[in-house]
Amino acid sequence: MTSRSSLNLKLAFSILAAFLLSMAFSWFLHDRLSERDAYALIDSTFENVQDELADCIDERLVLVCMAARERLEDGYPDDTESLRNLARELRVTEVSIADEKGDIVRSSVDDYLARPGRPAFNFAATDDTVANEMMGLVDGRYTEYCQPFRSNPANDNWRKFIGVWRHDGGFFEIGCDAKALQSLARSTCVDLFRNWHVAGTGGIVVTTPSGLVLSDYEEPNREGTQFQEPDGSVFYWKRKEIESFPVYVMIPKGSAAVQRNVLVGSTALLNGAALVFVALLVAVVISAFVRQQIRAQEAKELKMATDIQLSALPKVFPPFPDETRFDIWASMETAKEVGGDFYDFYFIGQDRVLFLVADVSGKGVPAAMFMMRAKTLLKSAAQTGKPVVQVFEEVNNALSEGNSSCTFVTAWAGEMNTRTGHVTFVNAGHNPPVVLRSGKPELLKSRPSLALGAMPEIHYRVGELQLEPGDGIYLYTDGIVEQPNKSDELYGEDRMLRVLSDPERRGKDILDAVLEDVRRYAAEVEQADDCTQLLIRYRGEPDVVSHEYLPTMEDLARATDDVAAALESVPAKAKNKLLIAADEIFANIVRYSGATRWALFVVLTHHPEGVRLIMSDDGKPFDPLIHRDPDTTLSAAERDVGGLGIFIVKKTMSPVTYRRRNGKNILSIGKDYGD
Amino acid sequence: MEIKTTTDGTRLTIAVSGRVDTVTAPELAAALNFGDATCVVIDLADVPYMSSAGLRLLLSSHKTMIGKGGELQIANAQEAVREVLDITGFSDILNLV
Repeated sequence: MTSRSSLNLKLAFSILAAFLLSMAFSWFLHDRLSERDAYALIDSTFENVQDELADCIDERLVLVCMAARERLEDGYPDDTESLRNLARELRVTEVSIADEKGDIVRSSVDDYLARPGRPAFNFAATDDTVANEMMGLVDGRYTEYCQPFRSNPANDNWRKFIGVWRHDGGFFEIGCDAKALQSLARSTCVDLFRNWHVAGTGGIVVTTPSGLVLSDYEEPNREGTQFQEPDGSVFYWKRKEIESFPVYVMIPKGSAAVQRNVLVGSTALLNGAALVFVALLVAVVISAFVRQQIRAQEAKELKMATDIQLSALPKVFPPFPDETRFDIWASMETAKEVGGDFYDFYFIGQDRVLFLVADVSGKGVPAAMFMMRAKTLLKSAAQTGKPVVQVFEEVNNALSEGNSSCTFVTAWAGEMNTRTGHVTFVNAGHNPPVVLRSGKPELLKSRPSLALGAMPEIHYRVGELQLEPGDGIYLYTDGIVEQPNKSDELYGEDRMLRVLSDPERRGKDILDAVLEDVRRYAAEVEQADDCTQLLIRYRGEPDVVSHEYLPTMEDLARATDDVAAALESVPAKAKNKLLIAADEIFANIVRYSGATRWALFVVLTHHPEGVRLIMSDDGKPFDPLIHRDPDTTLSAAERDVGGLGIFIVKKTMSPVTYRRRNGKNILSIGKDYGD
Repeated sequence: MEIKTTTDGTRLTIAVSGRVDTVTAPELAAALNFGDATCVVIDLADVPYMSSAGLRLLLSSHKTMIGKGGELQIANAQEAVREVLDITGFSDILNLV
């Protein structure tokens, strides 16, 4: 889990870093963009200011020019000196009169006039296209014409010329240098751009060449004060001289940055939301993945533990098909987290069978491993043929040695003499088993010894009991009796005993019935622990009849009669089946085995009543169980009767076992048909 | 084993009494002589059980009668016989009445 939270932390950190990086980049990008946009706006503003300012100045100067023309038309003299006086009076720099051909015929400036060897300045003839335009006053295109303030190409003097047409066909022109322009147009400029804002809080400032404010967008009252050039760290700004007036267009950086801030802000918001969403998604996906991995790992371990536990247990029933003196059944239902239960049974000598149920403390893989060890130790100790008590003492010492985990195992083991039904048993801290006498269940209470593996050098108490034919012993683990229901009450021994007392149930059905009763009791509550059961029933000594035959049809007929006689007491339904099966086997032996002699054992078993027919022959090896079954779905024409006999035997008899021993085929077929 | 044969025109009834197994099958085989009968009834009312040796005879008789355009009926099969016929799929092939 630590690795998972540090993974989450790293993930969160990288997401945050990526977020900040992208925001910084976005900020930088939008900063550049807003600066570029600001200067583009300043440039386009200058174009408008140029038009507006020029228009106002032109309007003012045209009035001055028209006033001068009026004076001349009213008879003001037009000699050079008079024109100079007129210029001074009008506060313009120069005054000229051109005729309809464009020649300057009168002027306050001598240089423009014709002199010997040099013609007068002619507006039509000059290369200066701006000057050429003045001819529009002659040909009627204009009634007035204003040149921009510029450096005159003729003499490099900075001038602004304004012309108005004259009734006699020529035109009248005044020229203003910067000083004249300033004095004439200054009042026009005052507050001209007062309400003209640029980019919200930016604007235009017009000053005199000496820096006195004429028009200020911000503080109209500042007119006449000295203007300080804007601070480049606060403003984007540019200065241009328009018509001799210095003009500043300025945009506060804060104002220009509004758009950037809005953009970056909204991007941050969107990116942030997206990142949070992605982070949550990733966190959910990753944690789901990790959880799934953990679950899979746990499931794998659980399955491994279950596999270990189940793989070790004998699962084929009946485990000893030829055995006619006792029956044994066992089952284990593992809990979700396995509890280390096991059962086992094996012969430990002629006529001695050992059977046990055990429960390892703890759960899961460790319990399963310990269970394996305990089971193996028990079996290897038992198979030396020692009495069960000695087996327990040896195994206890082996398990106690170096048992640092303090895992132990409770076990109940019995050793039954299959001829007599006599049982000796040892109880190492296990639940008391149930003895079934004449179908009546009774708990076999005995003082238990200590569980195996708890402490070395323990002496185990031995118990004894005598089973009569038909009696049984039922072993179980606490998974059965300690299964809780939803009120947290345990299933208990009484309920178990009630199921065991039902006389209708036999063998495996008893185990199934108990398990089902436990499940019904638990209802929706999950199985708490492994539920393990084992039932052994002593059937008593069977009645055996044996005969020997030769492989002839005569002996086959004799054998048929012998079987019929031996089965006299068997109910007709079972008897007919047994007789059919016997005939099939006899026919096989006599016709096909190549045997020189064969034998029949008719074994009548008890508790429940049953029959085993055991046939042995010294013919060639033949295992009927591995023969392929005939196809019973073919039509009459396709059918033949080969293999049908064996097929009938397999279908009607249980158990059917085959062994090859001492050069003989030994086939055992049987049927239990009652109590 | 006892075998009683009665003829009613082209209808031949063969009533078997006793078990049919490897020992008795040859005796029954000898009795399964259908002559010109077009309908043969094998009555198993008194047969307590029958092994595959008997099934063999029933199948071959069935094939014979079908071969000559006639009919074979198996009548009154008892429980043990019936069960063997069912297990082996012969119930689906033979004409049980």
